[in-house]
Amino acid sequence: SSLDVPFPSSREANIALRSLSPDREPRKGGISKELTVSGSTRWSADEARILRVSVDSFLDHLLLVLETMEMFGSPVSQ
Amino acid sequence: MTIVIGFEGSANKIGVGIIRNGEVLSNPRRTYITPPGQGFMPSDTARHHRAVILSILKEALEQAGLKPADIDCVAYTKGPGMGAPLVTVAIVARTVAQLWGKPLLGVNHCIGHIEMGRLITKANNPTVLYVSGGNTQVIAYSERRYRIFGETIDIAVGNCLDRFARVIKISNDPSPGYNIEQMAKKGSHYVELPYTVKGMDVSFSGILSYLEETVFSMLVEITERAMAHCGSQEVLIVGGVGCNLRLQEMMGVMCKERGAKLFATDERFCIDNGAMIAQAGWEMFRSGQVTALEDSWITQRYRTDEVEVTWRD
Repeated sequence: SSLDVPFPSSREANIALRSLSPDREPRKGGISKELTVSGSTRWSADEARILRVSVDSFLDHLLLVLETMEMFGSPVSQ
Repeated sequence: MTIVIGFEGSANKIGVGIIRNGEVLSNPRRTYITPPGQGFMPSDTARHHRAVILSILKEALEQAGLKPADIDCVAYTKGPGMGAPLVTVAIVARTVAQLWGKPLLGVNHCIGHIEMGRLITKANNPTVLYVSGGNTQVIAYSERRYRIFGETIDIAVGNCLDRFARVIKISNDPSPGYNIEQMAKKGSHYVELPYTVKGMDVSFSGILSYLEETVFSMLVEITERAMAHCGSQEVLIVGGVGCNLRLQEMMGVMCKERGAKLFATDERFCIDNGAMIAQAGWEMFRSGQVTALEDSWITQRYRTDEVEVTWRD
């Protein structure tokens, strides 16, 4: 199954994607996650518990990205 | 005039610092302090950092009197350290780097300590003793690498002291090591066996003095050995345990015997802080290094000698 996250603009979605994608998943629980350009995320995991922790952690990090964006302004135009 | 902002949060300290051409403009920091008898766990530490990082970032900019547009590059700790806290901090660094359109620099935490020590003390080419809760290494620079001459084969010296403080429930405020040091000062004699019972009472300050004397002597010995190998006449102590005045005193005695010079910084800079990451980031940046977003993953293990020190000859 997949989780869709809406963003105000594709620029912001891209920023979030690039902030959230570099780190590898911490545990070897067969967890893998795939973040795509349109701002949606797909997970697969061997155990439900691991999936839950990973989703939890992802949403928390996503919230952190959104809060950072809110506090430190809209992206500088190139 | 390059202005670098640095983010640090690999252990229980979270700091954001701003440096402009070797001048520290701001360096606010908060420490996650656990109750006596408890160490800090990764997820709780990450939660602590998460709750305060944005306000510390704001504080850093305000104290420096700068706007985001004034920042030239964004440095953050790539590793080593605890995974969850490292990720939390890296996420904010990556986000602001993109929001402000500035290059990103993934810094090795140990090198942050070294470069801050060099900046503050102006030591030329010292043998470095890096001692903290998470790391214990003797380091010397050679041909574009900070070579690890000696290190702990198990736990860091600060970890040893912290765990000991936990067992006898010494307060973690402001840090267990600081409280050990204060109590150890009151110990008046070195006891061969750390077993001090007086009737129905016990005494622990003797044990702490014993502990400090022993672990610090070990560190002085390996530092001296590295100096002898390198023909070095300077010692720089960095890392949280470097605040300890007894360690500095013992190292000073050894240095005096060898006609060498001892350098150390105060608690603002030997304890983990954001400005040290900014300083190392600045050195990296001006010698042409940059970290691409895809390569900005954090890592719990990151050896000091893995980094190419492009800013020194």
